[in-house]
Amino acid sequence: MDSEDDMHDANDVESLDDDFYSGETEDIPMDYYSDYDDDADDYFDDGDESDKPESRRSEQNFIILRESDIRQRQGEDISKVATVLFISPEAASILLRHYNWNVSEVHEAWFANEENVRRTVGLPEKPVVQFPNARELTCGICFETYPCSRIKSAACGHPFCISCWEGYIGTAINDGPGCLMLRCPEPSCAAAVGQDMIDQLASVEDKHKYSRYLLRSYIEDNKKTKWCPAPGCEYAVTFDAGSGNYDVSCLCSYCFCWNCTEEAHRPVDCGTVAKWILKNSAESENMNWILANSKPCPKCKRPIEKNQGCMHMTCTPPCKFEFCWLCLGAWSDHGERTGGFYACNRYEAAKQEGVYDEAERRREMAKNSLERYTHYYERWASNQLSRQKALADLHQMQTVHLEKLSDTQCQPESQLKFITDAWLQIVECRRVLKWTYAYGFYLPEHEHAKKQFFEYLQGEAESGLERLHQCAEKELQQYLNADGPSKEFNDFRTKLAGLTSVTKNYFENLVRALENGLSDVDSNGATSSKATSSKNAAGSSSKGRGGRGKGSTRTGGSNKMTDDNV
Amino acid sequence: MASSNLPRRIIKETQRLLSEPAPGISASPSEDNMRYFNVMILGPTQSPYEGGVFKLELFLPEEYPMAAPKVRFLTKIYHPNIDKLGRICLDILKDKWSPALQIRTVLLSIQALLSAPNPDDPLSENIAKHWKTSEAEAVETAKEWTRLYASGA
Repeated sequence: MDSEDDMHDANDVESLDDDFYSGETEDIPMDYYSDYDDDADDYFDDGDESDKPESRRSEQNFIILRESDIRQRQGEDISKVATVLFISPEAASILLRHYNWNVSEVHEAWFANEENVRRTVGLPEKPVVQFPNARELTCGICFETYPCSRIKSAACGHPFCISCWEGYIGTAINDGPGCLMLRCPEPSCAAAVGQDMIDQLASVEDKHKYSRYLLRSYIEDNKKTKWCPAPGCEYAVTFDAGSGNYDVSCLCSYCFCWNCTEEAHRPVDCGTVAKWILKNSAESENMNWILANSKPCPKCKRPIEKNQGCMHMTCTPPCKFEFCWLCLGAWSDHGERTGGFYACNRYEAAKQEGVYDEAERRREMAKNSLERYTHYYERWASNQLSRQKALADLHQMQTVHLEKLSDTQCQPESQLKFITDAWLQIVECRRVLKWTYAYGFYLPEHEHAKKQFFEYLQGEAESGLERLHQCAEKELQQYLNADGPSKEFNDFRTKLAGLTSVTKNYFENLVRALENGLSDVDSNGATSSKATSSKNAAGSSSKGRGGRGKGSTRTGGSNKMTDDNV
Repeated sequence: MASSNLPRRIIKETQRLLSEPAPGISASPSEDNMRYFNVMILGPTQSPYEGGVFKLELFLPEEYPMAAPKVRFLTKIYHPNIDKLGRICLDILKDKWSPALQIRTVLLSIQALLSAPNPDDPLSENIAKHWKTSEAEAVETAKEWTRLYASGA
């Protein structure tokens, strides 16, 4: 434990070691504070170690597109194809639509077999029917004869009169996006009807619809783009696949997963999210009712609805267990001393001390699958609620409080960005925390070590977040209510900014650890080999920190933890 | 009914249907509604419907020819692409409709459908199943129905 390397391990390589393995619980609050007091800059150092996969991951691999961007890109693709293949932009647009707006696929197919592509897409090189000397032609739809000036045709040459074309195109556009693949009305003819004809023959309203469909097609048919799934959001996203991170945050501030378009759900994978959402939709109604109206019998676990009477419960036969509704303890332990029939001092006392045996209850509940699900669902849902509340608070902060605060504390609003940052971090943490409950639900029951480790990490995350939330909500309140500048405001800034940074760091590590499937638990070997591999990259910045007394303590903690679990 | 507000196309089609009827097909507009046609199709030779006379109704909706005509069998028929209400599963009556098609082409297509039932794209599941599991037996039933419901009507 005394070599340089080991210290690196503890401090830099897996910075999650810092917090995850920090040993005794009572150290934790100290860690939080000392970390940001002494070496808050360390956390920023971590971000600079650009060789680490994590920092590559944080590079933005998506671009948000506004409507004007979409039109511009679409236009560029069309003119690219038109230039390379020497065809009209309308023909290029038809080709691109057939090949899902994939420029290179169009080029490839065209140069491999132009004739074949022209046939399937409907771009005949020359008309299949010609009437070079005709002065009048008969429309194939209304059977009327018209002067050639009143007749139009697609590239194939089949003659139809202008008013039949107008009817044909109008009907097609109002039938939906299929109009983008419109063909000549002649049943045996595959010639495409391009945007040039639409522009000449459709009504203003229909032209507008057509152009919407064309825009939508560019996003929806293209494998590299999607619409932001947030209701009412009109931005699209283009995504560069390749890195492991699917999280996309839209300009509308909605975060979603590129892969499954559900709300962003790191560290949980898409499959688990789908399972969880399905499970929730199937069971949430029942679950909500059960949560709101019942408690499980502490002995037989059947849900019990208490609709009247005192706290002395007797479960239905065959269980017949007598227990206290409030503390769920055996009734035999109760009596005058504990508050009689209508209250329970044990419950009140335990609640006040905060030592109510949550873990025990949790373990008991897990015995029954429904109750097990309840446990995770309840917490998943309550973090969801907290997140929504935090979002509302953030909004309130940005629209109302910051301005006021800027006045009373005589600070420019730009100096108050740390408050917004804190709230953004809270919102993000609530999201992560929420998904850790879906993660926990699907964590195999028999992997006790992992489960234990997971719950430990989750618990730490929860308390860290509570600390930040508390500071951003309660402590800020006194400055919001103040009449004039307070001296302590700068201390508050340091504290909140520090908490934000520490919590951010902790949650990033949590996400990473869960995404790795808590592989640190699997074996000692895994931990140390990872440490060695990234050691060099982390080398330079670790020097300064290696000497810290805490480094070795933590390393000790780390090994202890690992040993326990192997 | 006055034909003045009837599109020229419908008038022309009607005239042609009456003056040069397609073999085995007759279609005549109803006296009080020029958009409603009484249709008779003779069962094609060498099909289970041979010898049968099948009555259909055909209606040209307001949007015609931009929308397909509505056609259904009035005579009971045992056919995998025709259900017991006489509705017909035929692509040109739905998404493959084109305004360049006509009443004549639609009726010819229906006649062809009688010659070549397509149990892979069924409207009537039971009949299609029958057709696929034992075609000979299904053809017998079709002949039986033709005799029972479509002879000398």
